[in-house]
Amino acid sequence: MLPSYLTMAAILFCIGLYGALVKKNAIVVLLSLELMLNAVNLNLVAFSKYGVVPSLTGQIFSLFTITVAAAEAAIGIAVLIALFRMRGTVNVDEFDKMRR
Amino acid sequence: MFNIDFTGEFAAFFILSTIMICGAVLMISLEKVVHMVVSMAAVFLGLAGMFVLLEAEFVAFVQVLIYAGAVSILMIFGIMMTKHQEAEREKAKPLHEALAAIAALCLFGVLFYAIRRTTFPEAGALQGVEDNTMAIGELLYTGYVIPFELLSVLLTVAFIGAIVLAKKEAD
Amino acid sequence: MDMYSQAAWLIPLFPLAAFLVLTALGRSFRRAGILTGTAGSLAAFVLSMIIAVDRLGGRAVDYNYAFDWIRIGDYTLRIGFEVTNLTAMMLVVVTLVSLLVNIYSAGYMKDDERITVFYGYVALFTFSMLGLVLSDNLLSLYIFWELVGVCSFLLVGFWYAKPKARAAAKKAFIVTRIGDAGLLLGILLLFWYMPDHALDFTTIQSVFDGQSGAITTGITTLIALLIFLGAVGKSGQFPLHVWLPDAMEGPTPISALIHAATMVAAGVFLIARTYDIFLDSAAAMETVAYVGGFTAIFAATIALAQNDIKRILAYSTVSQLGYMMMALGLGSLTGGIFHLFTHAFFKALLFLGAGSIIHAVHTQNIQEMGGLGSKMKVTAWTFAIGALALTGIPPLSGFWSKDLILTVAFETNPLLFVAGLAAAFCTALYMSRLFFLVFTGKPGAAADGAHESPATMTAPLVVLAALAVLAGFIETPWNGWFGSWLSGEAEAAHGSGVAIVASIAVGLIGIYVGWLIYGKRSVSRTAARERLPWLVKLLEKSYYVDELYAAVVVRPLKTIGSLLMVVDEYIIGGIVRLTGIVTASAGRTAARLQNGQVQTYSLTAVIGFVVIIVAIVGRRFWP
Repeated sequence: MLPSYLTMAAILFCIGLYGALVKKNAIVVLLSLELMLNAVNLNLVAFSKYGVVPSLTGQIFSLFTITVAAAEAAIGIAVLIALFRMRGTVNVDEFDKMRR
Repeated sequence: MFNIDFTGEFAAFFILSTIMICGAVLMISLEKVVHMVVSMAAVFLGLAGMFVLLEAEFVAFVQVLIYAGAVSILMIFGIMMTKHQEAEREKAKPLHEALAAIAALCLFGVLFYAIRRTTFPEAGALQGVEDNTMAIGELLYTGYVIPFELLSVLLTVAFIGAIVLAKKEAD
Repeated sequence: MDMYSQAAWLIPLFPLAAFLVLTALGRSFRRAGILTGTAGSLAAFVLSMIIAVDRLGGRAVDYNYAFDWIRIGDYTLRIGFEVTNLTAMMLVVVTLVSLLVNIYSAGYMKDDERITVFYGYVALFTFSMLGLVLSDNLLSLYIFWELVGVCSFLLVGFWYAKPKARAAAKKAFIVTRIGDAGLLLGILLLFWYMPDHALDFTTIQSVFDGQSGAITTGITTLIALLIFLGAVGKSGQFPLHVWLPDAMEGPTPISALIHAATMVAAGVFLIARTYDIFLDSAAAMETVAYVGGFTAIFAATIALAQNDIKRILAYSTVSQLGYMMMALGLGSLTGGIFHLFTHAFFKALLFLGAGSIIHAVHTQNIQEMGGLGSKMKVTAWTFAIGALALTGIPPLSGFWSKDLILTVAFETNPLLFVAGLAAAFCTALYMSRLFFLVFTGKPGAAADGAHESPATMTAPLVVLAALAVLAGFIETPWNGWFGSWLSGEAEAAHGSGVAIVASIAVGLIGIYVGWLIYGKRSVSRTAARERLPWLVKLLEKSYYVDELYAAVVVRPLKTIGSLLMVVDEYIIGGIVRLTGIVTASAGRTAARLQNGQVQTYSLTAVIGFVVIIVAIVGRRFWP
């Protein structure tokens, strides 16, 4: 079963990557990032059961990842709101301050 | 993948993965942002189901709590606090999108190829853990206590930072 | 005995130091600049004088000091300095004229904004000229030879705001360059054929002693002619004389220093220095003699019809240099050098006198002058002495040197003797024309308000006038001291009654005719113009040599140049512009990547990551 889970995680990760690269709405970009993190979690938990040395460490790590992802989502939304207040939009195309 | 027995686990995996892929693709292709979040919640829930399949009940519980609960709600709040009347009316950038699609597909191809080529050793599945939550709790407070405490600090810092960032300038 | 000669290397260093100080001072230190320049040449003059006086008593040994400069494989190039009686004399001439010109310029250039620069150039020139004189081998001589050329260029074009001065500077540089190329070729040939590739004068002297036969006559002639080509360019001999009259666009003290007394004499000095090569080749000697004789008469006739006071003197200089060349070609080293010596003084005197006149009347056209004799007494008297010396009236210096040359010509080559006499007649005529038109008669258009020049300008005139009177007595028909001092051979009394009488008679007749036409006005001035208009026109236009060169050399070269210009503009320049366009567009493309869009950046990163992953995985999993 392990290859199935890994393939599933790869599919999720690639969809998330595409979304993060293409989507204009910053919130959707954040969602895509969450999707990629979830794919990683799936990998970790799958290896925790079907890995060479099965153990609970994978699950612990996925818990850590979830925590960090939650923090990231909170910060990301806060930054977005601050940016929206400044620029009046959440379209990532408009955020090109780095150019100047 | 194609020579596995048609067991109960496989059936459940098949259903869950269908839900998740559909949710993810809809998240990419839907028009309205709220709909996207909803389809994303489906993906989160499906993943929680997969965790259950993988005998990681506590992680599944946390997944539902944090992702399907907290993050989705956070996103919806974010959508509410910003303007979305124009709802994904974006300028087409065909070259950019095509390149991104090619890159994602290439990455998937490589990963898939690597997964197919690798012979994973047949290891015995994780045996005899009666209470998954208890075991994880013991491990967290013994072997991983320092990362755990660090993470708590990180969370505190992150939430304070989020508050400061999102606070109105005038205050 | 040689104690002072050993210190000769110090002489050029004084003007060099002055030049460096002047360059460092900048333009604001006008008085300090004048003092520095004058002090430099004064120190050089004092030391030169000490050395020369030291060498007067008895027969001093040539002093030579050289050190290894460059060692290439087996070949060692030695450079150094050499003091002979010839160089000692040249040192005195150069430093004395330089000193007087320095003093004179304090008055003449008083109001010029760039007087400090001017003094710097003069100091640099003096340094180069002294280095040229002191060089003990042809290579370092060539270096200094080019340096004086550069200084001449800088000083002719000193008033570069005038287009004519710019053109004259360029012309002087380019025309002398033709001669310099010849000299360089000659030096290279000599380097090729000399045993041990030696280029120092001592070795040259011993190799070309007429009997060793180390170098065949044909090669010797070729070398001699190439060196002579260099002298022709520098000394303004026909056919490269065209730059010298134009060089009069420079400040007048420069005309006196560079284009009358020192640099143009460098050609004569060069031939005197390599005289042994010429002595080995009869053909080269004949060429030198005939070119010199032709130039003497050729330039003298042009001077008859000119109206610009400085151009008259310039053509006169060309003519007198022709005399020197003729003397050298006829085998009389003494004659050539002696005339160089006397000519340096009286021609510098004439130029400085002309400068004094120009300073007073602000024109160079002699037709607009007149009656200046009463207003500028010192200038008039000293100018008269210079003119008489140039004409060759005894007992002034010019008489003795010119007489020596004519005597040699009389004894060896009657044709050149006649040419020399004719040139002497023309000289007398144009000098009397110049003198009477400027100093006598009714005051001309520009003569109003003319006044005597300040003492800084008249004092050098007086000194030079005294020298113009006295310098000739070192070598007279009954006393050949100078010749024996110069060559080390026994004193030989020479002299031919016929030559003396003929030269005096020709000079006096010339002056008399000039006085009749321009002084007493008993003969119409326009008589010649009415009878022979084409001849006068021909002379006024300097035999159309400039026009000929323009048509034959300059215009074809300019055509080729403009053709090449087109190649440069559209092909070379096109390539250059293309490079620029390609680079700029590449830059614009790259700048478009830098669009500030985070997603574009991350897409780029992902593509790079995928490429790396594919490469690694391909290596890992490919069978």
